[in-house]
Amino acid sequence: MDKKMSIMVVDDEAIVRESLFHWFKKYGHVAETASSGFEALEKLEKYPFQLLFVDIKMPGMDGIELLKKVKTEYPDTLVIIITAYGSIESAVKAMRIGATDYLLKPFKPDQLSLVMERISVQEKLVSQYNYLKGRLEKITRFDNIIGQSPPMEAVFSLIPEVAQSDSSILLVGETGTGKELVAKAIHAESRRSHLPFIAINCGAIPESLLESELFGHQKGVFTGATRARKGFLEVVSGGTLFLDEIGEISPKMQINLLRVLEEKKITSIGSREPVEVDFRLVSATRRDLKKEVAEGIFREDFFYRINVIMIEIPPLRKRKEDISLLVEHFLIKYSQETNKTVDHVTSNAMGLLKQYNWPGNVRELENAIERAVVLSKSRTLRIEDFSFIQPSGIQFQESLSLREMEKAYIQKILEEKNWNVTQSAKVLEINRVTLHKMIKRYCLERPEG
Amino acid sequence: MTSKKKSVGVIPLGNISEIALQAIAEHITGCFKLTTQILPPLEKPEYAIDERRLQYNAGIIIETMEAMHFGNHDKVIGVLNKDLFIPIFTHVFGEARQGGTCGLVSLFRLAKNSDGSSPPKSIIHERAAKVALHELGHLLDLLHCEHKRCLMHFSGGTEEVDEMSLDLCEYCSIYLQDKLR
Repeated sequence: MDKKMSIMVVDDEAIVRESLFHWFKKYGHVAETASSGFEALEKLEKYPFQLLFVDIKMPGMDGIELLKKVKTEYPDTLVIIITAYGSIESAVKAMRIGATDYLLKPFKPDQLSLVMERISVQEKLVSQYNYLKGRLEKITRFDNIIGQSPPMEAVFSLIPEVAQSDSSILLVGETGTGKELVAKAIHAESRRSHLPFIAINCGAIPESLLESELFGHQKGVFTGATRARKGFLEVVSGGTLFLDEIGEISPKMQINLLRVLEEKKITSIGSREPVEVDFRLVSATRRDLKKEVAEGIFREDFFYRINVIMIEIPPLRKRKEDISLLVEHFLIKYSQETNKTVDHVTSNAMGLLKQYNWPGNVRELENAIERAVVLSKSRTLRIEDFSFIQPSGIQFQESLSLREMEKAYIQKILEEKNWNVTQSAKVLEINRVTLHKMIKRYCLERPEG
Repeated sequence: MTSKKKSVGVIPLGNISEIALQAIAEHITGCFKLTTQILPPLEKPEYAIDERRLQYNAGIIIETMEAMHFGNHDKVIGVLNKDLFIPIFTHVFGEARQGGTCGLVSLFRLAKNSDGSSPPKSIIHERAAKVALHELGHLLDLLHCEHKRCLMHFSGGTEEVDEMSLDLCEYCSIYLQDKLR
């Protein structure tokens, strides 16, 4: 084993303590000894030993009692029980309490090596598990959603609140606003966080397939069903099911899901045996489902079932103050991914990014930054690097100055707002007096008629 | 700055064949480049016999040897043909403590293969040399090594001793050079 461990040998016999102590020293482990359970607990309080070798028969506190205390107070500490031939039953008892292994003394040197090898493998697995768990938490972490604008702050404050309950949540927002990230954050903050998070895009799967994906099927119920398959509603067992584009599902599927949400049971296709299911539903839509309910397109009972709590995710154009933060985030992300150092954006380019309306929202912005980083030949992204972005009504040319750009933009907003100065000033986030001054400075005129 | 070259004594405990002692001494000189000398024998370590196990306690022998003086030798390897043990283990082929002065090699179990057959003398001597070098490695503060063929790899059986080479791996070699500097 290559990983050095911190090991304590607990035995009332000095000769055993010394033998094991010197043996572990030969492997470069941090070794310590204790002559009683009490001494071991005192030393554990001061130093986090990873592994304890404990003799089962000791005066005062025996090995079993020490094992119980260690497993209660330091559950991550591994314990190997050392026992004589006569006390196998105690060794079995120790294994039940939580001992990692036991050794009958005297043992062959390679038996000890084998136990240490197993512990090394176990430690490696635990460390890999912790690493992956950390990675998963990083991916689904709440602070992975970028934004400090008031509408995003409102979303952030809602997430931990709603995560604690089991109520169904409906996320409403345009495409690319980060609905799935919010769903993952809700899952990560909930008591179900250690259980699966399964995301299904209902709009991307044909209805017949969606039914089989969600409910599962028995072997041979349709062509291609060569074996029985559990549906996601069962596989998610205890976790969170995220149904994206819920507005796309058919009325029949709405009834089926409504029944599942009410009865907490599913019956797979081709089966008659209902199976109990437990999951938290988070749905998302970019459609106005309330309107569709009123028009009779979407089932009202299903709508209210999935919409116990509604969270609206604002489109990027309504939180433009987050753009520089998002740009910074994506620059770091894609610089790492492409192994290139691209860490600056000129003020002209940033102006363009803030001016653009981003109909594809954060996803479109992310794609734009990725493309610009991939194609960039310098560490600074310039306005030319975003030539593929075409803000409505304004064509940017390489020679366009900031002054000309500002003039064109003000003119565009005034035209959009039918030359209503109050409304235009609001969009431009300047006061009316300033806008009047700019209209005068740039000699802008309202078109005739 | 110069340092005195370390000197190693090889000492028989009881009646040990001269060839076995020479094999050990010459391998120490050849592999570790240390001055080696075969010392006059000590008595069989009857003081260390465990009446219950009928084996010799390696720890007691080492403690006794460490209390003795062996001239100008920095490290001493004792060689005996008795079955050695340390209290937690059924047996050991040899024993030494990290950074100590005295180590032991027992020829007792090295003279038998795991299937009970007897190997030729040359194999027994090679095994003894490997165990002696391994224990000397511990006396020079080398740790057990991961590389299966390295001299400092732990060997639980005679097959593993046979698989082990007479050389240190790259890392243990560098470590040894540092220790001997």
